[in-house]
Amino acid sequence: MFKITGCQHKRGTASLPGTQQLIFRKSFLYMKENGSLYLMLIPGFFFLFIYKFIPLYGISIAFKDFNIFLGNNPFQAIAQSDWVGFDHFQRLFAGSQFLKVLSNTLIINFYKIIFLFPLPVITAIMLTEIMNKAYKKAMQTLIYIPYFFSWSIVFGIFYSLLGSYGPVNIGLKEVGLDSVMFFSDHKLFRGLLVFTEGWKEIGWNTVIYLAAITSIDPTLFEAAWVDGATKFQKIIHITIPGLFPTIILMLIMKIGHILDTGFEQILIMYNPAVYDVADVIQTYVYRMGLGQMDFSLGTALGLFNSLIAFILIISANAASRKLLGRSIW
Amino acid sequence: MSNDSELMKYNDRGEKAISLVSYIIMGIAGLLALAPCMHVLSKAFSSASMVTSGQVTFFPRQPQMETVSFILTETMFLESLMNTLIVTVGGTILSMLVTVTTAYPLSKPKLKGRKLFLILYIFSMLFYGGMVPAYMVIKTLGLMDTYAALILPFIIIQFNMLIVKNYMEGLPESIEESAKIDGARHFRILFSIICPMSVPVIATVSLLYAVNYWNNYLHAMLYTSSPGKKTLQLFIYDTIYSAETMIEKLMTSEATNVSVEGIRSATVVLSIIPIVLMYPGIQRFFVQGITIGSVKG
Repeated sequence: MFKITGCQHKRGTASLPGTQQLIFRKSFLYMKENGSLYLMLIPGFFFLFIYKFIPLYGISIAFKDFNIFLGNNPFQAIAQSDWVGFDHFQRLFAGSQFLKVLSNTLIINFYKIIFLFPLPVITAIMLTEIMNKAYKKAMQTLIYIPYFFSWSIVFGIFYSLLGSYGPVNIGLKEVGLDSVMFFSDHKLFRGLLVFTEGWKEIGWNTVIYLAAITSIDPTLFEAAWVDGATKFQKIIHITIPGLFPTIILMLIMKIGHILDTGFEQILIMYNPAVYDVADVIQTYVYRMGLGQMDFSLGTALGLFNSLIAFILIISANAASRKLLGRSIW
Repeated sequence: MSNDSELMKYNDRGEKAISLVSYIIMGIAGLLALAPCMHVLSKAFSSASMVTSGQVTFFPRQPQMETVSFILTETMFLESLMNTLIVTVGGTILSMLVTVTTAYPLSKPKLKGRKLFLILYIFSMLFYGGMVPAYMVIKTLGLMDTYAALILPFIIIQFNMLIVKNYMEGLPESIEESAKIDGARHFRILFSIICPMSVPVIATVSLLYAVNYWNNYLHAMLYTSSPGKKTLQLFIYDTIYSAETMIEKLMTSEATNVSVEGIRSATVVLSIIPIVLMYPGIQRFFVQGITIGSVKG
């Protein structure tokens, strides 16, 4: 303990330079005084450490000849397995599945972004153009409830609707067409994925954009009205530019997740008949890495996935910062 | 937006057209959202013969309650629902405790080491080890087939913590200052002052966590093995695929009105009910919370 004199000079060991010493002592004093703040941080950080940082050690499985039965538990097994360098990566990239899985991932996400990204913006704008409050509330409510349904439920609903005995197929048969096996059809399955994701999530995204629209400065609209702008002009020149920051934020987040969106959806909705069009990186990791216990391959692919996603989101954010001055942190 | 509607004048045909188009398209959207749900609702309550002959479209034909009571009494539905409830309620409470206690210190600009913590949290949002390493961690900790495995990996979602932190940063410092002068310590300030002021964001983030826990399928699939531990989502998935086997086991005369499709539909409908019941609460807090969230950026 040392006394704080009126001029706040602190004495310390003679070997440290004066200013550094001052900063160090100040920090230490702050931490002592506000100990409870640091105490508060402990639980969150504890869990973060266990569930996000410790698994990083598990990445070494991708570089080892992992034998899960060594030692008393998997982590000891990791430590006791031998290093094999990039062997697993070679196996991964040389295999026929890799390109297929990668292209499925990219194609499906591409479809989803192209078809589903603009829609919530349009629906949000349309909702604001609806005058009747009751109708507006009703429609808004209807479209965003499906967000809260799990994929199991959505799968159940559409399986009922589109299955062999569902009304769609019955209707097709009545007009003389063959029934369509939506869930096992190569050409239709991706469309099904996009459609069901839209059905589930467009409402939620619409509400986000609606909230953003309400935060656009109303005086802009008043000024436009005074200038005699039509509704259409107002939309083009005020609403859409006003939504730009939100749109960019959502887009960056979408890009960052490009390599694992839709994983749970696809896992629940797919089946062996459509593996070749719908198997994405994460489902492959799940099936091969964990299901078939090819842990090293699964880890290698997972690492590849994480790296690319990381690069994508950093680049998208940097691009946005450079071009538009907006960043997510 | 009421401002907009007050000023709106239908002074050209384009205005009317846009409005009309909006009404029609949103009407279609609403119907598209509703119709599939009506369909499963109807199938769940229609008689087996109507269902299998494909005559059920959007309204129940020959209504019956047998399918629903079958699901409730003779399957693991209620147990699965209980499991999901335990995970969701327990998880959300724990998550909110951990999230709020993390967000509060980090919302103080003067905290030493704040940048370090934030970097760690944000980094872990962007880069993660992957499914296999996460599985190894759970296995090593001996948590396979426990509720803990379903709660702990999700206990803190960094994005949610950042939302709470941002909100707290926007709260006026004067109230905290005066409390400090009165001698209040940090814990007291957090729970007696900051939390009551943060009710909207707490409600919204609780909802986000709750939805996450309730709907999660992957962790239940990966980490549970005993039938008694299945969560609702897993139960639904299994039932969809095993409905036919269930029917075969039911070859008694009680089962006249239970059909394969009926079982699937009834399971789905029963699972939707809790969500619909929660809906007024969701409506109240969520839309308000999202507005706040988007204003904060």
